[in-house]
Amino acid sequence: MITTIENIGKAFLSKILPLRGTLQFATRVFLNIFDRRTYNSASRMVFIHQFYFTSVQILPLFLFVAVIFGSLINGMAFQVVKNLGLSDYLGRLLMGFVVTELSPFVTVLLIALRSSSAINAEIAVMKVSRELNTLESFRIDLIHYLFIPRILNGMLSMVLLTSLFALVVLSIGLLVSSLVFGTSVDAYIDTLLHSADVLDIVILLIKCAAFGFFITLIPIRLGLNASQELTSIPVAVLNGMVKVFLAIVTIEALSSILRFI
Amino acid sequence: MTQRIEFKVGLFITITSFLIMASIGYVAYKKGMFSKVYTYTLSSHTGENLTEGMPVAVWGFTIGRVSSLELNDQGTVLIRIKIPERHIRMIRADSKFVLDKPLIGSPRILVKTTNLNGLPLSPLTIPELTESNDINEIIKRAQPIIDKADRIMANIEGITANLADPKGDVNRILRDAEALVARFSKRDSLLEMVVGDPESVKSIHESLKKLRDITARADGILQRVDGMAVKADGILQRVDGMAGKTDEELYGRDGVLPQFRNILRDLLAKLAKIDATFDNINKISTEAADSTKDLKALRNELDETIQTIRDLADEIERMIPFKTKPEIKLP
Repeated sequence: MITTIENIGKAFLSKILPLRGTLQFATRVFLNIFDRRTYNSASRMVFIHQFYFTSVQILPLFLFVAVIFGSLINGMAFQVVKNLGLSDYLGRLLMGFVVTELSPFVTVLLIALRSSSAINAEIAVMKVSRELNTLESFRIDLIHYLFIPRILNGMLSMVLLTSLFALVVLSIGLLVSSLVFGTSVDAYIDTLLHSADVLDIVILLIKCAAFGFFITLIPIRLGLNASQELTSIPVAVLNGMVKVFLAIVTIEALSSILRFI
Repeated sequence: MTQRIEFKVGLFITITSFLIMASIGYVAYKKGMFSKVYTYTLSSHTGENLTEGMPVAVWGFTIGRVSSLELNDQGTVLIRIKIPERHIRMIRADSKFVLDKPLIGSPRILVKTTNLNGLPLSPLTIPELTESNDINEIIKRAQPIIDKADRIMANIEGITANLADPKGDVNRILRDAEALVARFSKRDSLLEMVVGDPESVKSIHESLKKLRDITARADGILQRVDGMAVKADGILQRVDGMAGKTDEELYGRDGVLPQFRNILRDLLAKLAKIDATFDNINKISTEAADSTKDLKALRNELDETIQTIRDLADEIERMIPFKTKPEIKLP
């Protein structure tokens, strides 16, 4: 009996302790974001490169995905709204679902699939190849030089790309609404404005920043868990991506709770 | 290479940030975030159905929101509403504030302003919030219908209970009907069932047979009468023909009546002439009467003259008596 309880406690702690470690690491990184020493020329260069790889390089693919998703989602939403006679709720559907829920979700999935996995693998390889040890031996702060530029890049990329996605989807919505309902530009904008709430937009931006923070922090943290063996790299990436997915779901749930309280 | 990357990154961040800021700024501007906001206080005896952030509407348009709710020492709920400057015209001193609780949807505060040019509502004035409860109104209206439906249901229940009750009226009627049908099936006829005696039924049958014979005879008589009627019809037709001819003789073009009418017309014309003649005769007789009056006067004068002559002759004879008396002839 006692052994069973011990086993339950052991299993619980084995799950909780890494989470505690991740949260402690997140706190350290978050505090360093506000440290002026972080923003030196080397860090800025890393940030620019990371941002380029994450946001600018992906832009054509991202816009293509946004157009395809926007057309599909708008087409379906408008058709459903028209068939059910719920055209009064069009604005709420677009602002409440497409902008505040769908846009960040698609964006975070794209960035997680592309950049988070890359960061996870990169850190794991650096750990295996002892590159991190070398940097530390040169007294280069890993958090300032490696982690914060990547995390800031994740946060900024998420905010900007989500906004871009929402703008593209709303622009396609304008096109679809004029084709399906024959709505004018003014009427469409009025509908959106009527349903838009500044608080919702602020929550959306905070959610995007949180997404960006965790989908870059978790791969870094899990990449650092890699051992000295090459075979630990895929394990670290695998664990990192699973944790990233869990983090996305958790943030999504928390933001929904925050919005509907 | 690095500069090119820096440029691309910078351009992307600038454009995207500008788009985001412009969108948020536009929404904030349109939502009145930058305009001056006026706060008014309303009072209510209850805080039920009141929530912070609930809309304040005029004619279906949301013009403001409830910013806070507070219960004061007197037990009155104070409701603070925020109205942007551009909608301040809707809030006047005579404005009525009504808590609208629709059947479907969230409650809201309706502002009812009759005179938009009236005095503005002072922020220090605390108008009372009245209630308009759609649900209660509907329940009030529906109550008589529900009562009626209850009565109908009670009646239906009574009927079904009666149906279910083996000693009930419906079952009794059904049993009686069953007995009746059974009696029908046992008797040869309905008459036998009614009379109850087969002999009486037999005598009734015989009477009916006799009645049938009488009816057959009556039918024969009637047929003969029909034949006579047919003959009478022929006679009448002939009489009609004669009458038709008589009509022709009387009323035809050369009939008696037109000729009689012509004679009368001639007679009338002649009578008109005779009438004129009579008028003339009358005139003549009148004139003759007048002439007779003149003759009378002449005779009188002649009589007077003769008398005078006689008197004169008498005088002369008295004076000259040689002559025998002459005989004077009067005209």
